[in-house]
Amino acid sequence: MEKALQCRSLTKQFRDFTLGPLDLDLEPGTVLGLVGPNGAGKTTFLQCLVGLLRADAGETRILGRPNDPNRPDWKLDIGYVGDLQVFWERWTAARNLEFVAQFYPGWSQERAAELAGRLRLPLEKRAKDLSTGNRVKLSLVMALARSPRLLLLDEPTSGMDPVVRAELLEVLFETLETGDRAILYATHILSEISRLADDLAFLDEGRLRLRARKEDLLERWRRITFRHGDGEVRLPSVVSHRREGMDHQVVSSDADSTRRQLRELGAENIRETNMGIEEIAIQILKGGENA
Amino acid sequence: MLLDLTDLSSEPLQAQIVRQIRAHILAGNLGAGADLPSIRKMASDQRISVITVQRAYESLEREGLIHSRRGKGFFVSEFTRDRRRDLAAEKLRESVQPVIREALAEGLDKEAIQAVIGTILREV
Repeated sequence: MEKALQCRSLTKQFRDFTLGPLDLDLEPGTVLGLVGPNGAGKTTFLQCLVGLLRADAGETRILGRPNDPNRPDWKLDIGYVGDLQVFWERWTAARNLEFVAQFYPGWSQERAAELAGRLRLPLEKRAKDLSTGNRVKLSLVMALARSPRLLLLDEPTSGMDPVVRAELLEVLFETLETGDRAILYATHILSEISRLADDLAFLDEGRLRLRARKEDLLERWRRITFRHGDGEVRLPSVVSHRREGMDHQVVSSDADSTRRQLRELGAENIRETNMGIEEIAIQILKGGENA
Repeated sequence: MLLDLTDLSSEPLQAQIVRQIRAHILAGNLGAGADLPSIRKMASDQRISVITVQRAYESLEREGLIHSRRGKGFFVSEFTRDRRRDLAAEKLRESVQPVIREALAEGLDKEAIQAVIGTILREV
């Protein structure tokens, strides 16, 4: 099957910030959490993907087609939610939805109504009177009611209360049941996406630090304590190291190899504990060079 | 299938799924030939990622507890009473081993540990 997203050497240059060059693939049926601090370049990246910004270099294919602004048919199969929403401000939310519906062959009015209800979008209000959170909801309903094969979400829960946020995650899980839909979910709050995501990509200062299967990260990273007496201990996969006398506590990005090295060194009392995905993410974004 | 998954445990979700399905199978709640929810269904029901479920099923398959049939999904495997006992014993060993290691590190000797286990066995 063709990739949901394929991006090669994507670069976007600003006076004081450079995004990329970025290489990123996304398989159908997969959820990728794009995680990084504010200012990492997540929004710029997504805007380049959907054509709101023009990349300076690189190639992007969406569902097999180049994201060519002159032949925008590739846009029919994607849903994008970001902080830049264009509505007909004097129209009600409902009328905005009706208007958009005609452009999308996959649109379901029933689905739009259901989603609006679940996300508590006040359909009768004019767009210009909607709060920030409600504007995001309106663009979410627009993005989801057309059953897109690729969803690109940029901080989609900003301005939402916890109940609606949970409901949105429910909706996204349901979206995935059909099997071939892909989601790229950008957020600076990993916990939002930590259960939903199959893969995680860490973006920092415009560069991709790491992209990995979440389950692989959970399997490889460990906090390891051991006792070892003599002199300096050098462990290649270790990203942080604390020591008190003979007691050591390290964080390893590759527990198997660290364990092997410790045995060779003759370390004693080797113990391992699992790490949560949030702790792992923090270590990666802190820039453990070994991560 | 009702699983009880929590983010508040140091046990990863994948391990929680494996342990709970294994317990269902060993306790006989899921008999030989019973089908498991599809990977996508399980992921959606439990609100976890597809890959997490896939890895959990693969792990149960390696243990020989379930098997997959192409296009049909996953089914509980058939095994003898002896095999069931071996699996249960293996599971017990896995959960008791770290506790005993800890007790040894804390200064209890083997006799003292055996005495404690003996007491527990009389009490249950």
